[in-house]
Amino acid sequence: MFSSPTPAPGSRTLASNALRNAGLIDRDAKMRDATDKPGGRKGSSKTRSHRTRPIDVYKDSGPNKSGSSSSRHTLNSWSSHPTFILPSAANPNLRSTLLSPSQLSARMNINSSHGGSSDPLTIRGASSRPATAGRLRRNAVSGAVGTNSPSLIPVRVTRPTLKGVEPWRKLVQKRWNSATALLDLSNLIEDEIVKQFNLLPPGHGGNSRDAAVVFKLAKELKPQVQSLNLAKNRLNGQHLSQLSHYLPGLVNLSLQDNDIRTYRDLDFISGKKDKLTGLKELLLAGNPLRDEMMQKDAEQFKNEVSRRFPSLLTLDGQPIAQISFDVSREPNKPLTTALEPSSTTFPAEMSGSLIVGVDGALLSTFLVRFFSVYDSQRAALNDAYDATATFSYSCNTSIPERARTLALHHKLPNQRKLEWGPWLDQGNAGSRNLTRLSHSHEKQVQRLFIGGEAIANYVSTLPTTKHDISGPPEKFCVDCFPVAHGGLMGLLVMVHGEFTELPAEGLRSFDRTFVLVPAPEGSRAKLSGWDVVIISDQWTIRAYSSPDAWKPGPMIVQPSAARQTKAGPPANSDKGSTPTILSPEQQNTLSQIPEPERAKVLHICVRTGLNVQFSVDCLTNNGWDVEKAFANFEQVKGTLARDAFL
Amino acid sequence: MTTSSSGSAITVLTRDDISIATRAADKFTQLYYATYDSPSRLADLPNFYRPVSSLTWNGKPLQGSDGLRSLIEKMPPTKHEMQSFDCHPIPGASPPSLLITVSGTVIHGKPTQHAPGQRSKSVEGQSRVFSQTFMLVPDSAAAPSQPGEPAKYYIGADALRFVG
Repeated sequence: MFSSPTPAPGSRTLASNALRNAGLIDRDAKMRDATDKPGGRKGSSKTRSHRTRPIDVYKDSGPNKSGSSSSRHTLNSWSSHPTFILPSAANPNLRSTLLSPSQLSARMNINSSHGGSSDPLTIRGASSRPATAGRLRRNAVSGAVGTNSPSLIPVRVTRPTLKGVEPWRKLVQKRWNSATALLDLSNLIEDEIVKQFNLLPPGHGGNSRDAAVVFKLAKELKPQVQSLNLAKNRLNGQHLSQLSHYLPGLVNLSLQDNDIRTYRDLDFISGKKDKLTGLKELLLAGNPLRDEMMQKDAEQFKNEVSRRFPSLLTLDGQPIAQISFDVSREPNKPLTTALEPSSTTFPAEMSGSLIVGVDGALLSTFLVRFFSVYDSQRAALNDAYDATATFSYSCNTSIPERARTLALHHKLPNQRKLEWGPWLDQGNAGSRNLTRLSHSHEKQVQRLFIGGEAIANYVSTLPTTKHDISGPPEKFCVDCFPVAHGGLMGLLVMVHGEFTELPAEGLRSFDRTFVLVPAPEGSRAKLSGWDVVIISDQWTIRAYSSPDAWKPGPMIVQPSAARQTKAGPPANSDKGSTPTILSPEQQNTLSQIPEPERAKVLHICVRTGLNVQFSVDCLTNNGWDVEKAFANFEQVKGTLARDAFL
Repeated sequence: MTTSSSGSAITVLTRDDISIATRAADKFTQLYYATYDSPSRLADLPNFYRPVSSLTWNGKPLQGSDGLRSLIEKMPPTKHEMQSFDCHPIPGASPPSLLITVSGTVIHGKPTQHAPGQRSKSVEGQSRVFSQTFMLVPDSAAAPSQPGEPAKYYIGADALRFVG
C-alpha cells in the first residue's frame, strides 16, 4: 500500500554521517530527551501559548543549548526573514561551535561571565526578558554538563510561521499523489525542501503544533487524503494529536519506524469521538510499543490495537476479522427526510410473557427443573449443557433510579448485607461485563466457560441462590420464541426475575437468556431426562428492582405527557398473561394430563394465571375450546378466589 | 469463525473467535444505541434488521424491519445508557451467530425538571432498567465487502423488556 521513497536500510548510515557532518545528529539525540520527558524541564509545556513565540524555538531545541549556538536560533526565528537568512551565514559558525569540548567549556565561560548584553537573546531584542534568558542559559549549561556531550548542537531552525508555511506547502504538494490520494510524508528529515529551507519536521525538532501545520496543509488537498505515510519521522503520540482533527477520513495510515511507545500514544488518534473512525489499514512496525508487545503477546497487541480502531481491517499487513453491519451512518448525512421522534406515549402497553412456537409445558418443565437444580445441586447441571455450550454471567452494579426512589434497598430487610465482591472476581474468573473488560482480552477469554463440565464446576463456586419459582408468578417474566440454529430450530428464552442470595438472604434481580435446542436421542441430556439442551446461557445479575416493571398495562412516558393523554382510550392489548414457571406440584399435575389437552391447559395457565386445576375446569366447562374458555375466564375472573391462581 | 473453514460447523471456539465476537458486540452495541437515540433513527435503525427478523418489545411480537419501523415510529425520544453487556459466539455454524445481552437504563421523552435540591418522590418519568437480547446472524446473501470480514451480520432476533 505504502510505497516509501525513503532510503534503503543501508543508506541510513550515510544519512547519519551526513547529519553528523552537518553537526546535526547529536541535536536529534537531545531532542528525544526534550520531547519524551517534558517533566525534565519543568513547566515548559505549560508556558506555551498557541502563538508561535521565538522562545519556543529555543526551548524546543532542547535543554542543552548553549549561548553561541542559540544565537543561530535567534538569528532565524526572530529575523524578519526567518526562512532565508540562515544557511549561508550561519553554517560555518555552527561547525566551529559544535565540535570540541574545549569550545563547550569556552561557551560556558562566556555564559557565566557575560551579562545580558552579550547574550544572544538580548542581542536579538529579548532584553525585556532577562530572567527568562538567564534561566535558559542555566538550563543550557546544566544540560550540557549532564549529558556530557562534546557537541552541543543546534541547529537549523525555522518554524512554520506565517511565511515559514510556504516551504511546507511546497513540500506537501511535492509529496502528494492525487491519483492515488496518497500523501507520502515519510522520512521528512531527508527531504530536499527540508534541507533547503532548514525546516524542523515534527519529530526532528518540530512539535505537535508544527505537525498540526502540516496536517492542516494536507487537509487542503483535493481530493481528500485517503492514505498517509508518516513513516520514519520519530513521531510520538503528541505529534499526532491533531491528525484526526484535520484528516478524519483517513483510510490507510503508516506510522512505521516512529516513536509510539504506549497505548496512550495511540489514543491520540483512536477513540470514540472525532477520531479516525474510518481507518482500515494501519502500520505500526518499527515502533517501541509494537516491538515490546509483539514479544510479550502478539495476539494481545492485535486485540488492543483493533479494539481502539473498530473499523480496522489490517494491522501491519495482517487481516483483522471484522464483522460489519449494513448500516449507513454518514456523519454529515442530511436529515431532511427523517422525522424527529416526538411521541409522548409508548407504541404499546406492557404485555405479559410471550411464549411463541413452543409447547409451553416443555418450556416450563425445563425452567422449573433448571432453577431447582441450580439452587440445590449445581454440579448435576453438567448434563443440561451441550458439550460446546457457553456460559458467563455479568454484573450490572448500578443502582436503578426507580428502586432508589422507592427506597427498596432500605425497606427490604437484608439488602444492606449484600455485597458485589463475591460476584465480581472469582479467582481467575468473575463478572464478564464487557463494558469493564475492554482492556483485558485475557479476562474476556477466562470468564467465558465452555462445555457442560466446565460450566457445572464453575457455577458450583458461585454464591448460593434461591429462585422462588413456585411463589407468586408475577415475580417472573418469560419471553420465548424460535430462532434458527444451524439447520435446527432452536429456542431463544429470556427469563427476568429475582432470587434470594444466601447467606445474606437479600434479593437480587436477574435476566437470564438461554439458547436451547432439542436434546438429540441418546445424548447425555436426553438420558438424564432433559428434552432440551442448553447451547448458550448468559446471566445478568443486577441490583433489585420491583417486578412491577413488567406489570401488564399502560406505561407512562413522562408525568406531564401522561396528563395530556389521560383522556385517550387505552391501547388494546392482550392482558393477563403470566409466567409459565409452575411449582413442582403444578408441574406434576400438568404432566399427568395427556396431550393435546396438556398444551391447552398450559395455554390457559399462561394466559389467565389460573392454576392447573382451575384451567382444566375452565376448559372442561367450555368444551376444551381455548378461546371460549378464555372468554369465560374474562367474565368470571373478578369472582375467583386467590387460590384459583398460580 | 475462522474464514478458512466456512461451510463446516465449528464446534470448538478459539480465542480469536471470542475476540472477534467481543469486538463485534462492542461495535454493534455502540452503533445500535447511538442510532436508536438519534433523531434519524426511523431512517437508520431498520437497516439493522431483515424481513425475517423476530422481535418482541415488552411482550409484543413484531416481525422484521417493518415491524421495527412501526414500533419506533410511535416511540418517544430515547436516551439509552449501557451498563453491562456480554456476548457469546454461538457454536454450530460458521461464521457463528452472536448472542448479545445488554443491561442498562433508558429514559423516554423529556425528563421533568425539578427545582434544585428537590427530588422527585414519584418514579414516573425516571429512567427504566431495560434488558435486551440480540441474536446477530450472518447474512449469507451479502458477500463480504472487505478483506478479513467473515460476514455481514443482521439482527435475527431482538427481545426487549423493561425490568426496573
